[in-house]
Amino acid sequence: MNPSTFDAIAAVLTEQFHLEAGSIRPDVALDQLGLDSLALMEFVFAVEDRLGIRIPEDRLDPRQAGVTLEQLALLLDEASGAKASGDVVSS
Amino acid sequence: MSSAARSRAGVPVAVTGIGVVSPIGNDLDSFDEALFAGRSAVRAHALDLPGIDVPALPVAAADFDAAGVVAPSRVPLDRGTAMALAAADAAAADAGLVTGSFDAERLGIFWGSGMAGAASFEMTCRSVYAERRRMRPTSVVTAMPNAPVAEIALRFGARGAAIAYACACASSAVAIGEAMRAIRAGWIDVAIAGGSESMLTPGVLASWQAMRVLAPIAGFASDAGAVAACCRPFAADRNGFALGEAAAAFVLESPAHAAARGAPVEAMLAGYATNCDGMHITQPDAAGQARAMQAALADAGLAASDIGYLNAHGTATTAGDAVEAESIARVFGSHGVPVSSTKAIHGHLLGAGGAVELLAALRALAAGSVPVNANTREANSAFGLDLVCGETRTVAGLRHAMSSSFAFGGTNAVLVASRA
Repeated sequence: MNPSTFDAIAAVLTEQFHLEAGSIRPDVALDQLGLDSLALMEFVFAVEDRLGIRIPEDRLDPRQAGVTLEQLALLLDEASGAKASGDVVSS
Repeated sequence: MSSAARSRAGVPVAVTGIGVVSPIGNDLDSFDEALFAGRSAVRAHALDLPGIDVPALPVAAADFDAAGVVAPSRVPLDRGTAMALAAADAAAADAGLVTGSFDAERLGIFWGSGMAGAASFEMTCRSVYAERRRMRPTSVVTAMPNAPVAEIALRFGARGAAIAYACACASSAVAIGEAMRAIRAGWIDVAIAGGSESMLTPGVLASWQAMRVLAPIAGFASDAGAVAACCRPFAADRNGFALGEAAAAFVLESPAHAAARGAPVEAMLAGYATNCDGMHITQPDAAGQARAMQAALADAGLAASDIGYLNAHGTATTAGDAVEAESIARVFGSHGVPVSSTKAIHGHLLGAGGAVELLAALRALAAGSVPVNANTREANSAFGLDLVCGETRTVAGLRHAMSSSFAFGGTNAVLVASRA
């Protein structure tokens, strides 16, 4: 997991969703953030926009139980690598 | 007022909490200071869009950080909705309206906005069409006109009626009046009522400019003092208004409910009326306005001579002020009531105007002074108005005030307030 990717995730959660910084850890699941399904979708969109990349829809459903912030970060890193090699269209 | 007329009057409703976010202050002390000094918040706003010949428009923006407002829904807030939440929070805190002090099923939210969410929808569309970005999943719930109502209801766990009113510049006056009716009728005990509007975005500003109702400042846009004084309600040389943004919220409750929970009463809402001209989509009608003012007086059980201050709609447009001066004369007679339009300093707040201008009337009652009609040396002599020019005027025995809102679409709404 690229630390800067996780930093971007944490920044979105604190700045846009007003979550406490101390509650944001790699092992926390998306469905434990206190956000409903719509807000979770918005959160992932916001992180993708911040990083200028996009996770293909078939790789992630943020509403799926148990997906952790670390897994999200890894998916973003994967998408970033794919973008660098020209495989994925950016947002 | 005859005894028969008094018997038709409704019972007053208590105002126990006030909150405001506005170009002239986000708390009552700063609001009062600017209101009674006649200090204008109007500034020049640069605009560069196709088809707009003028480089700057007059705007009254609020000093407000929307990012600091936590949404109970956790979805992104339209700036106007953030203002609404901040005003509602302040009003509830002022009223001591905390969980346990009311029955949630008897708390209602009544909120007015002319085009709530318009700014967010404009920016969303821009991101799609101009930046070729995708729509956000929260676009609908951020931009929907009842978003302020929904967020306020979520914040306070309201289980009674939660209704958004959209009737242009009368929206929040109607919302407050309808909340008053709901309390009087016994449907609810307490309401958070008011209005918000924030759409100082390029497309909305250009739309208003296209109507040619904004005060032209292109010739002196770099002169801050001249721009601040560009809106001159009821002056012979009036030339239009500035667009503003604001939210104002009131906690309204039955006097019995306020007394039972020991809430101090700041003022009484005594009368309300609304009607429609049914004449024209934009042109005002003196007969309709006069009927609304007379009906509000009857609802309050008061005579025109009881009113010590009229906060007029006063948009400073050529046609609007002339018609309103006529309707005021029909109800109050020539020079029959001290009048001012505070749009001169806080701009035209559209759907939030009725709420903020009711607040100006309440502050006048609290201070025993009528706010100055800023920027206007003297009223157009043909109007026959007792316009409060030059400086704020102390009025001995000021006990009742009226606030009028006359909207595009023909809706008229008039509120009457009294000292507690």
